[in-house]
Amino acid sequence: MGDVILTMRAIDKTYPGVHALDHVDFDVCRGEVHALVGENGAGKSTLMKVLTGITHKDSGTITFEGREVNFQSAREAQAAGVVIVHQELNMMGHLTVAQNIFIGREFKRGPFIDDKKMNAEARRLFEELNIDIDPKARMSSLTVGKQQMCEIAKAISHEAKLIVFDEPSAALTEAEIEQLFKIIRDLRAKDYGIVYISHRMDEINKITDRVSVMRDGHYIGTVNTKDVTKEEIINMMVGRTIYETPKAHSAVPADAPVVLKVEHLNAGRLVQDVSFELRRGEILGFSGLMGAGRTETCRALFGADPKESGDIWIDGKKVEINSPKDAVRLGLSYLSEDRKRFGLMLKKDIVENSTIATLHEYSSAGFIDKPGEKQAAQKYVDTLRTKTPTLEQLVMDLSGGNQQKVVIAKWLVNNSQIMIFDEPTRGIDVGAKQEIYELMNSLARAGKSIIMISSELVEILRMSDRVLVMCEGRKTAEFDISEATQEKIMSAATRDIDAHDLLKGGAAK
Amino acid sequence: MTAAKPKKLDAFKSLPLVKKIGFNRVILIGVIFALYGLFALLSPILHNGTSFVNYARIMSALNYCYFIGFLGLGVTFVIATGGIDFSIGSVMFCAALISGYCLTKYNVPLPVCLLMSVLIGTLFGTIGGFFVAYIHLPSFITSMALMLVAKGVGSIFTKTQSVSWPNLSSGQNVWFRYLVKWGDVPTGLFLLLLFAVICGVILTKTRAGRYMICLGSNKEAVRLSGVDVRRWEMLAYVISGTMAGLAAIFYVGAYTTVQPGLGDTFNNDAIAACVMGGTSMAGGSASILGTIIGAIIVALVQEGILAMGFNINYQYVLTGLIVLVAVTADTLSRKRKN
Repeated sequence: MGDVILTMRAIDKTYPGVHALDHVDFDVCRGEVHALVGENGAGKSTLMKVLTGITHKDSGTITFEGREVNFQSAREAQAAGVVIVHQELNMMGHLTVAQNIFIGREFKRGPFIDDKKMNAEARRLFEELNIDIDPKARMSSLTVGKQQMCEIAKAISHEAKLIVFDEPSAALTEAEIEQLFKIIRDLRAKDYGIVYISHRMDEINKITDRVSVMRDGHYIGTVNTKDVTKEEIINMMVGRTIYETPKAHSAVPADAPVVLKVEHLNAGRLVQDVSFELRRGEILGFSGLMGAGRTETCRALFGADPKESGDIWIDGKKVEINSPKDAVRLGLSYLSEDRKRFGLMLKKDIVENSTIATLHEYSSAGFIDKPGEKQAAQKYVDTLRTKTPTLEQLVMDLSGGNQQKVVIAKWLVNNSQIMIFDEPTRGIDVGAKQEIYELMNSLARAGKSIIMISSELVEILRMSDRVLVMCEGRKTAEFDISEATQEKIMSAATRDIDAHDLLKGGAAK
Repeated sequence: MTAAKPKKLDAFKSLPLVKKIGFNRVILIGVIFALYGLFALLSPILHNGTSFVNYARIMSALNYCYFIGFLGLGVTFVIATGGIDFSIGSVMFCAALISGYCLTKYNVPLPVCLLMSVLIGTLFGTIGGFFVAYIHLPSFITSMALMLVAKGVGSIFTKTQSVSWPNLSSGQNVWFRYLVKWGDVPTGLFLLLLFAVICGVILTKTRAGRYMICLGSNKEAVRLSGVDVRRWEMLAYVISGTMAGLAAIFYVGAYTTVQPGLGDTFNNDAIAACVMGGTSMAGGSASILGTIIGAIIVALVQEGILAMGFNINYQYVLTGLIVLVAVTADTLSRKRKN
């Protein structure tokens, strides 16, 4: 670890109704990976936005490379050597890798863009990072992991000295995360200052040198990663201890009736002949790697995407689901992994978001019963402990965890009996995670049936009564929780599909 | 001194009434008075003694305001869903031409003609809404196409002749003119405000309005909430078309003569009224009050430019500039809020 490259002192920032940053201090040295952790709404993103010029601080000082700075825009920060690799990638899919990296500052030969030089320059960057990507490939043809590496290459091409990674691993597979870590270690060796924001405790242990913790807009403290345990960091974040222990056995009574039966569901390449049952009060975990077809299966079931074939029974009755409207009427609900795109109207308030699925119940003769819907929204703000100043708060101004609660409220208002949670804790911090888990458990105890799609094995083992594993569009295994282990699930999730097909072909012969 | 000023402004902004109707709308109401004062001052100077401050001027400006107001009210629904309707002006003229032709050439009873005008608007709205909501065509393209169709159909039906609805002096079939003006009473203003209230109620108090605005905010989220978004999206265009049909009645009520092949310039006036009033082109928010204020401004500019002795081209310039300034102010204040 080298000398200090960045010092932030007494940074203060107030939004209407929220004291987002309360005299926060933060340091980064050259050649260190510095984790910034905290619950959602703790102020990490705001702090990084202040640093990179995306928003402006009310008071406090920022010293970068010994000079006091006050970046007015992301561009200014970039020019000084501070760049951020966002969680959501900002790439143009139809352009090539090199064109993306040099967008806005293309090399030119006369009035024309010099693609040759851009490709060569991109190749040089990739070599420096030990990444194998063709600069001429179209961005959209790359995996999310590779796209992220391009984003890193872009950051470095800006002559960055300090790189902020905002939850870089959220969308990556295990192998891709390994490669990301390798790159980060290389960058550390080259004396870059690195800020690493993540909710995954294992990663923090693995990759970071120091950890700074924030809570409710306050700076709590900084510790050396190797001196503390995971539990201690979590304690700093939430002020209480959380244990993550797998479920020992199913909580569902043996005679619980089957509420949902799906047979031979087919919808494109990622949903091939999927069959399963869901019982009353059960949490059925859908495990598998990214792109295994779990989301696609649930979307087809919910009527969000067209299905080719397949039969669905609810409470023993055969039903037709051709649109989300049919599904909602039958008591199904779907909580998408991408809340902002598929779950929320960001520019609308909590009330409007809470009752959008049930407006027919909160209106008579076409007129909305405003006191009634407000009451319903208030009820679930209270029971779910959604943190908001008022019900009229626009959803875009809430933190991720609270946004998720608004989506859950929508379906609780609707009294859905079968709830599909797609990555319910993605991008949500440890404390809010715990709340969501408790909520799902209490929903199941209350007799609701839950399908939970999750890419985190710990989460699957902890929450599920039964685990269904998918790989490349097929169901490859199903376990009772008492039999499920990480190893068994992983092997089913990575089952070699070619061998599978061969076996099937062989049997046919 | 300089520090006290923004504080006063903030205090003004937090007045209950100002909060309710929106700061930008309050500013726009101020703009109405400012423009009126400007025209009153300049028209005698620039246009050898023409007086702007008299009742006839106000009535004349209101004539323009009515049909623009009706068009604007309708298109507010479409814009709230995140779409656009460029056909309304042509649809209005198409409705006025066909129903007027039936009245004057085929002696169809007046009430039937008025109803026909409204229904022609509804029909165009329904067709447009179907293509946008069910076939998923871009509203821009769909309404462009329908603009051409409406323009052509109106001209074909009347064999490219202009249609003159009855004048007050002709004695019979003239009561439709009382919808606009009864003696010295601006009945049209009351009717416009009545419909504005109805539209406001639909947008803010009913399920249909909520769905339309919400799907403008995030259509996919609304669909996944189990709402048949196609139906409600289509409804916005049906309302827009119907209001264009109504606008036709107020156009002929004010001006009687309709010429084929025109009408499409009024789209711009109506959309301008709508967006300067604060309805976001991105969808998800709408202001009926804003649209009415916008329509008044557009009409006032039209009248003022004529009074000052300039031709219609100056009206386009001034309206365009007001739209730019109003929408810029709105956008900036939204950004500041974030």
